[in-house]
Amino acid sequence: MDPARNARTLLAAPIAAERGAWRSRAALGRDLLGIAAIAALTSFGLWLGGRKDLTNTAIAYLFVIALVSMRLGYLPAILAAIASALCFDYFFLPPYGSFNIDNGRDLVTEFAMCGVAIFVSTLNERLRKQARAARLGERRTESLYALVKALADVRTLDELSMAGLRQIEAVAPVTAHLLLHNGGEHFQSAYSSTGRVGLEAEDLEAATWAADHLEPVGQGTRNLPDAAACFIPLVVARGCIGVLAIRSRPGVLNEAPGPSSLLRSMALQLAMAIERSMLAEAKRHAEVEAETERIRNAVLSSISHDLRSPLHVITSASSTLVEQRDRLPAVARAEMSRLIHEEAKRLSELLKSLLDVTRLQAGKLDVNRDWESLEEVVASVLRRLEQRTGLVEWRLRAHVAKDLPVLEIDAVLIQQVLMNLIDNALAYAGGDLPIQINICRHDEDAVLVSVSDHGKGIPNDELTRIFDKFHRSRGSSGSGLGLGLTLARGIVEAHGGKIWATPTPGGGLTVEFTLPTTSAAPTTTEEGLSEDARAWSR
Amino acid sequence: MESVTGGTSVLIVEDDRKILRVFLTSLEAEGYRVADASSGQRAIEEVRTRNPDIILLDLGLPDIDGLALVPTIRAHTAAPIIVVSAREQDADKVRALDAGANDYLTKPFSVPELLARIRVALRSHAQVGTTPRTIISFGDYRFDLAGRRLLRQDQHVVLSATEFKLLATLARHPDEVVTTTALLKEAWGSAHQDKKGYVRVYMHSLRQKLEIDPTRPRYLVNEVGLGYRLNTTG
Repeated sequence: MDPARNARTLLAAPIAAERGAWRSRAALGRDLLGIAAIAALTSFGLWLGGRKDLTNTAIAYLFVIALVSMRLGYLPAILAAIASALCFDYFFLPPYGSFNIDNGRDLVTEFAMCGVAIFVSTLNERLRKQARAARLGERRTESLYALVKALADVRTLDELSMAGLRQIEAVAPVTAHLLLHNGGEHFQSAYSSTGRVGLEAEDLEAATWAADHLEPVGQGTRNLPDAAACFIPLVVARGCIGVLAIRSRPGVLNEAPGPSSLLRSMALQLAMAIERSMLAEAKRHAEVEAETERIRNAVLSSISHDLRSPLHVITSASSTLVEQRDRLPAVARAEMSRLIHEEAKRLSELLKSLLDVTRLQAGKLDVNRDWESLEEVVASVLRRLEQRTGLVEWRLRAHVAKDLPVLEIDAVLIQQVLMNLIDNALAYAGGDLPIQINICRHDEDAVLVSVSDHGKGIPNDELTRIFDKFHRSRGSSGSGLGLGLTLARGIVEAHGGKIWATPTPGGGLTVEFTLPTTSAAPTTTEEGLSEDARAWSR
Repeated sequence: MESVTGGTSVLIVEDDRKILRVFLTSLEAEGYRVADASSGQRAIEEVRTRNPDIILLDLGLPDIDGLALVPTIRAHTAAPIIVVSAREQDADKVRALDAGANDYLTKPFSVPELLARIRVALRSHAQVGTTPRTIISFGDYRFDLAGRRLLRQDQHVVLSATEFKLLATLARHPDEVVTTTALLKEAWGSAHQDKKGYVRVYMHSLRQKLEIDPTRPRYLVNEVGLGYRLNTTG
């Protein structure tokens, strides 16, 4: 069966019903064909001398009427029945050439033929209607099945809208557009089967009417039949979520598309799928909100605790100095001053890491790459740490391979990564074993940096989670904000490297990260560098 | 406290009254004569009228960009300028040093740190104008600029031409930060401005020759994001 023709019948059927008795030229042709068949039979009957055998003539008429009824439909069959009754009477029943009937028996034959003809036509029509209904039902089921299947395969609202519209356009020679509210009061977006389209081209007035009255409107309906398209509201449990706009495809000579029951069913399926997608989206959004809220709360409680405690020390110690200055012994004054100094430094460090992470989160961390030497970065980190904490040298042991290439990195940021890793190692190391910093070639394309401590280490299930924001290892003293490793990961990844943690052999934690090398790295053997080729000495 | 600082005048250009109060107190306690300016405009007037021995310049000023102030001050006086900046202004620090500032300090810094930097700046400035030193000693090393040789306990250390140029540039400003850009200009000429990688490579080979532990250099100290300093006191 030709799907296009099938679809036309699907679309046209309800329109005929709504517009009353409306007949096409083709139907008129079928009526005339039925009458012509009767005319032909009459001529043939006369030629054969049918007047002598009225019974067989009547049966021949009945046969042709039955054929007309089967082939051409109900109305042609009724017309043919009337025509055959008239012809039979006029040509075959005496007196010939007149509609009068002398014989009572002939009158019975005439009526019987007429009655049987109508009976057969009616039966045939009923059968045909049933067959058509079955075909319609099958086609409808197929279309809906195809739609549901297409909608099940996609997730996002955009894909959903386009897939639904494509299915509708496959069923009927129409252009379908979808106008969605997206939770707002007015239409916010419009789709065609190929993507998003502007709202400007749509008849928003008619669409709004359909959405407000929850009824189809426009072409093929009683409401605003002059509108540019037929608008079918997409109604779900919580109301109208949008409107489906159906237009005849340009160039297709066809009846104006109306809101056939198939289209309404498809609109309903589409509406439900869109609602599901919107609900899923809302749920996901709510989850993200909840997670953001959770992190925000963690930040707040973490900040209020970690920042308040040094601030508390500073406030109390300084007020002691201000209020009791003359009564305090010199030792106590020195002690108060030292406390203020130390806690202020701690506060400053905490704020710095918090600001860094905030900048990283906001994507504002600028990576200013330049040729840098990791040896120098390590040297600077060691110097700063030993100055700051007054660490004895043996606590930090560094080994940097001699043949490392210079890297294109942001030295300030990588210095921060190393500071954070070593700070962490110092906080958890304990014991008398030094922290080992090792830098060597990882492979052709990367340099490996590792920081190992020999402390208690952490459980294996925490090895990946220590890089999460505000994560603090169980049993940690918890003096920081739990942001150091998060920041380290952000910086390393911004450089195109990887960072991970493993247990140190023999106990403790090792954090390692890679930094990509560049093939064009300068070396001392490079050409064009003055007269350096010959070593200078005396 | 000590006679060295007696009579030395310091100009602090800073618009935060509270931190100014702290600096005034601690510098006066050390025996310096301290003047202050809370704006760029005032700073220029102070430099012109008082001719201070050293200038402490905050880069974040209300009226004029502190960076633009460096060449203006330099036009009036040869006195050392120490710029003070927030951590986010790393690039500004380098520009200030290239524009003629002698040293930098990053907020927050401690008062002993400030005093140390002032002493270093004054000491190297005192040597300017006298005959330039041709022999610079650091640790076991004697670096003879005129004789173009480096001795470690009277043993020659073989240097390549580039290594010598780098070390010589640092030695002409002992204990001061020399920016990577300045090093490039001195050793390779301005044509190689964008090739900082070569400075890193040659500094590495210098450290290999001069330092016992290159990860804990005693003499060739690098300042990440800024440049290098030849440490003659360590």
